[in-house]
Amino acid sequence: MNAITNTAPDEPQYAVVWPLGRLQVDGGTDFPKSLPDLNGATIGEMWDWLYKGDSLFPIVREELRKRYPDIKFVEYPVIGNIHGPDENEIVAGLPQLLQALGCDAVVVGVGH
Amino acid sequence: MRASVAAIRGGIPSVAIVGSHFQAQAKTIERSLGVQDSGMAVYPGHIRLDDENEFRRKVATDIVEQIISELGNVKISPARQGGEHKPREIVFRGSIDEVNAHFYDRQWTEGLPVIPPTLDRIDAFMKHTARRPDEVIGVLLPERREATVWNVAVNGVMSGCLPEYMPVLLALVEAIADPEFRIEDHGSTPGWEPLIVISGPVTKTLDFNFGTGVMRAGRRANTAIGRFLRLYTRNIAGLRIPPGETDRAGIGNPFNVVIAEAEDFVRSIGWPTYGMERGLKEGESGVTVQSMMGASAPMAGHGSEGNDLLGYLDPMADVFGKAILGYWVHTAVAFAHWDPLIIMNPQIAKLAADKGWSKNDIRNYLYERAKIPARDVEFRGRFVNLDLTSQLEKGIVPAAYGASKDPDRLVPCFYTPESIGIVIAGNPATTWQRGYMNNHEQGAAVTKKIAWEQG
Repeated sequence: MNAITNTAPDEPQYAVVWPLGRLQVDGGTDFPKSLPDLNGATIGEMWDWLYKGDSLFPIVREELRKRYPDIKFVEYPVIGNIHGPDENEIVAGLPQLLQALGCDAVVVGVGH
Repeated sequence: MRASVAAIRGGIPSVAIVGSHFQAQAKTIERSLGVQDSGMAVYPGHIRLDDENEFRRKVATDIVEQIISELGNVKISPARQGGEHKPREIVFRGSIDEVNAHFYDRQWTEGLPVIPPTLDRIDAFMKHTARRPDEVIGVLLPERREATVWNVAVNGVMSGCLPEYMPVLLALVEAIADPEFRIEDHGSTPGWEPLIVISGPVTKTLDFNFGTGVMRAGRRANTAIGRFLRLYTRNIAGLRIPPGETDRAGIGNPFNVVIAEAEDFVRSIGWPTYGMERGLKEGESGVTVQSMMGASAPMAGHGSEGNDLLGYLDPMADVFGKAILGYWVHTAVAFAHWDPLIIMNPQIAKLAADKGWSKNDIRNYLYERAKIPARDVEFRGRFVNLDLTSQLEKGIVPAAYGASKDPDRLVPCFYTPESIGIVIAGNPATTWQRGYMNNHEQGAAVTKKIAWEQG
């Protein structure tokens, strides 16, 4: 960036304040543990019904099963679309839904 | 990222798949949710642009390896914070050029010069509200910064607003902080801008332009307040184009100046004002903010006789309705929301009123005329995986979209008649009119009263 300035010695000086606001974050400390072995684990698939999740998840399943024969999946149609008019409610209810479905981990296919 | 972090908050390790072009944005959203290193599998390039073989190769190798690695070594931790300052803390001293260079280098401006936010200037704004400077109006996503009365005044100063605009600025920030507005989606790729309509006596008190060139820069209240809102979303919601990381607009638009309505004229023809239709009482002032994706060409009654009302409404239905809204209505159907807005010329409004038409008659006419084949909506809806049958079965969208199963049946471009906003403004010596399209539920129209009694 390095904007160029052109200041004469007798120009008025301004004492200015910060234009942003405090970051409001709740970091928390109670985070999940690693899953070093996916054999026997149940992986939930979450998708926003955009950007080729229907093509992506079958490949992920196939490749992970090659490496971890006992891995299980809760496929994305079971969890349903996580995007749309009810998105806030859906996201808020995800922990309970995933626990009820017995998911040990999730893969979220959302990006472009 | 929100779904991924929600799972993690529930104790379930997660890996979010993101395209490499969106990795920086994903990290910003992650930080805004209070964490870092939450687990990502980065797809090299753009998921939509690779052919099938390349897509399969990248998923089977890059993505799968990252999923295994991320789940096998969960590294998530609370987001680090830093660089915070107190409201009255002086962060820099310098000349006008030096202040602007300092702010620009830190991405605190949008590239235009700003008025230095000095304590005396900010205090002049604070005299126009009884609210405490540290009052938190809301927390603006995606950067999750607190919107306070104080930083409204700071950004108001920077934008070139007058101190007496302060109650308007506060109402605007209340509007975008309302969860219904979905400020967190302001950085979405189609690239929408906030569009403000101001209503009530404030229009005249603060000297807003509602006539010739109503959407042009040139009148201080319209222009400075329009600039303020875009600068505020940049600084507090954190929506910055590169080298910023969160605004991912494909193209975008410049900020919009504020639209004001010719309210005395509207009353003179016996119609309710836009503000009244948005719930304001007579004598109250307010702001409505919604998203604006794009505008129609200027529309007049080409080739029609002077008093041929339909000659002026049909271009509105055909050009704005069928061509522009028709191209994007699949998103309204997918997300069950739509706020198309029309700036109607005063002459045309009077012509309609003289013929006995109400505003609702205008809405109903446009709604009925602007229809396109359902197959077009479903075809374009593939982009958002629209399942129209499912939306109809759930009762989420109006029954008019499922009058039959014929793919050539005609369905509305305006979603519902009630969704059409009508503002009477513009050059009364002409007949030009224009339509503005919002982005479904992103930037839904939100109205807030301006609290003059606090000033």
